[in-house]
Amino acid sequence: MAFYGVPQGVSKLPRQEHAPGGGEKEHAEHKGLAPRGTFILVGVFLVAFIVYYFVNWKLLSFVWQVG
Amino acid sequence: MHTGIVSPKGVWWVKAPKAERIWVMIAFAWCMVLFAMMPLWHYRGGQNPSGIRHKVDPEAYEARTLEFVEQYRVGEESGIAVVAPPPGSDIYMLGKMWQWIPVLKLQAGVSYTLHLSSSDVNHGFNLFPPNINFQVVPGYDYALRITPNEPGDYKVVCNEFCGIGHHLMLGRIIVEEGPVVAAGGIQ
Amino acid sequence: MNTTVAALAARFRTCPTTGLRVNSTAEHLIRLNAVFAILAMVAGVIAAFGLVLTRWQAVHLLEAVWYYRLLTVHGVSMLIFFIIFFEMAVLYFAGPVLLNSRVPMPKLAWAAFILMAVGAVMVEVQMWTGKADVLFTSYPPLRAHPNYYLGIIFFAVGALVVVGLFFASLVVAKREETYGGSVPLVTYGAIAAAVIAVITLLHGAAIYVPTWTWAMGWTAMPDPQVYRLIWWGLGHSSQQINVAAMVAVWYLLGALTVGAVVLNEKISRAAFFLYVLFISMASAHHLLVDPGFGSGWKIWNTSYAMYLAVLASMIHGFTVPAGIEVGQRLRGFTKGMFEWLRKAPWGDPGFSAMILSIIIFGFIGGITGVTFGTEQINIIAHNTLRVPGHFHATVVAGTALAFMGVTYYVIPLVFQKQVAFWPLARIQPYLFGGGMVLFTMSMTFAGTFGVPRRHYDISFTGAPFDIQYNAAVDLLLGIMGIGGLIAATAVVLYILIAVWSVFFGKPMPQAATAGE
Repeated sequence: MAFYGVPQGVSKLPRQEHAPGGGEKEHAEHKGLAPRGTFILVGVFLVAFIVYYFVNWKLLSFVWQVG
Repeated sequence: MHTGIVSPKGVWWVKAPKAERIWVMIAFAWCMVLFAMMPLWHYRGGQNPSGIRHKVDPEAYEARTLEFVEQYRVGEESGIAVVAPPPGSDIYMLGKMWQWIPVLKLQAGVSYTLHLSSSDVNHGFNLFPPNINFQVVPGYDYALRITPNEPGDYKVVCNEFCGIGHHLMLGRIIVEEGPVVAAGGIQ
Repeated sequence: MNTTVAALAARFRTCPTTGLRVNSTAEHLIRLNAVFAILAMVAGVIAAFGLVLTRWQAVHLLEAVWYYRLLTVHGVSMLIFFIIFFEMAVLYFAGPVLLNSRVPMPKLAWAAFILMAVGAVMVEVQMWTGKADVLFTSYPPLRAHPNYYLGIIFFAVGALVVVGLFFASLVVAKREETYGGSVPLVTYGAIAAAVIAVITLLHGAAIYVPTWTWAMGWTAMPDPQVYRLIWWGLGHSSQQINVAAMVAVWYLLGALTVGAVVLNEKISRAAFFLYVLFISMASAHHLLVDPGFGSGWKIWNTSYAMYLAVLASMIHGFTVPAGIEVGQRLRGFTKGMFEWLRKAPWGDPGFSAMILSIIIFGFIGGITGVTFGTEQINIIAHNTLRVPGHFHATVVAGTALAFMGVTYYVIPLVFQKQVAFWPLARIQPYLFGGGMVLFTMSMTFAGTFGVPRRHYDISFTGAPFDIQYNAAVDLLLGIMGIGGLIAATAVVLYILIAVWSVFFGKPMPQAATAGE
């Protein structure tokens, strides 16, 4: 009746080594791991933001003068 | 590389990846644009919530409104006085559970100073259909210099909860072309 | 180590997945707070069904008194009780559990919980019996029964104690050296949330105490404009607790679902710090068209000081997905620009909830909110349906959905049960997210046509004049109705899954109790 399951991450998470080695020097670029896909996605977000924002100024400009 | 549930050591002075640094700069620039727009609109735009604002005694405001009504009254509709004030004058609207008093008859293209307040609880002034909104607070006179841009039959919706009659609260502003025949013959 | 600490050390178990040492008091309190969060959610979702079927003008189910009554119930139950009980659980996790440490002063922790529970029950009773038909904001001169305000004060005091114990647990963990280096980023986010919580709860005390004494007839009524100012110091800041907690949960879920990495601790932590510094100023955006304040004050505060807190959100908006991308690339999904996303575990409800939360919060919630939090644009948005359209995208489809996602991991990891109704659990985030998108977007558009929020009847039957909204409004409210029903059903599903799993669920294969 109640089919049971467990999210996949429960078994996949490697045991965390606490306080990994003093002073992390690696960052994403060195291993060719740059987050290019995310950069595009946030670009889409920024465009949406800019468009929505200025459309609203335009809408405001149509109403009665008030101040 | 580590996840967010791990205790990291000595991480504070590591340089961020290039993509992240570029994004932070872009986002910061956008934030500066957002900030600049507001003062800019005060100089160049026609809609600002500045107004002339005063504290006021609710009873005194109600009395002032009724005085205004008597001075410029031209009729009545649905039990509410209709008022035709002269262009450029101080005009008054009162929010009171559950009515907007009075009905205003205004002229297109002309400025007025519209005073808003309440004699009881918070109300919300929403002008339909332009969708202009202001909070109407008892004890405060919010005077806004308005210029109706087009003739029409406008309504005033209350959009702040004010009790069980809230959804019956509907006012009216009639805007006509050309000089409105004001009470007392003042054009 | 003294004998007290040694005795307490016996009350830990070791988590088989993360290797963390989990203190039993912390675990009990996480469970109890989660249960009470769900109870509050039940009240809130019953109200939600009534509300959505009423604002869907074609259905108009409730009568006016019950619409306004359930509107109060819905706001308070969801935005105060559900979310704060859940956040108490998050604090016990991010503090004692993530740091392998203990809850200091367990008796005080239990007392605080009981105080919160008593306060919540008091308030619910007042609301359901019609003694508090004042809406969640309770603006004077509208007045509720004194026990309504008193219950909220009890709840807030209890929460403040829990926040204090959280800070104490950080000190204890550091002193007893139960972890090395800096606290994990998730804990840092929880700390930011906790600091904002103190600011929030102090505003709450400042406003609810004099309002309670007025309701008791002992003092004069708070000035209505001053009330709005201080109340929103509580009201908005509490939403920023929710933002900080949500972002912390995003980092947590990222770690649990795909091993998401932290790109740069300095930047992510600085972003949380910006929240703490500036976020409370934003309460001003509720007062942009109020008569009590000048433009200079409005501009400075609504911008969170030049939008620096918006910058913080935009930073997390990059680092969280980027961390997911890099985590996935490290696991081998390196083909092209988006294999990391295409091949991500979309069937894992913790993952899908997290992603939907990020997208809806950012695109719908964030963009609309910053836009009409602009001093002048607020003129065409204040008190219209655009406002609930916005905040259901942020706190509901953002924070609450993220909390739902993390529940799917809490059930096996903390309650040590398997998740029941698993095929339904896998689609629950999609149902909720999808319903919420329809709900929020239709409300946003309807609000642009002038439809008011908190309003029982836009046909204005019985009013002195006629008014006719744009023909599109009927369609939009219908879509809102359908989206709202889908989302509310998904909430019921979530409650069913969570409650069944916890009380009747199959234990996890390795129900570990070792670690003494």
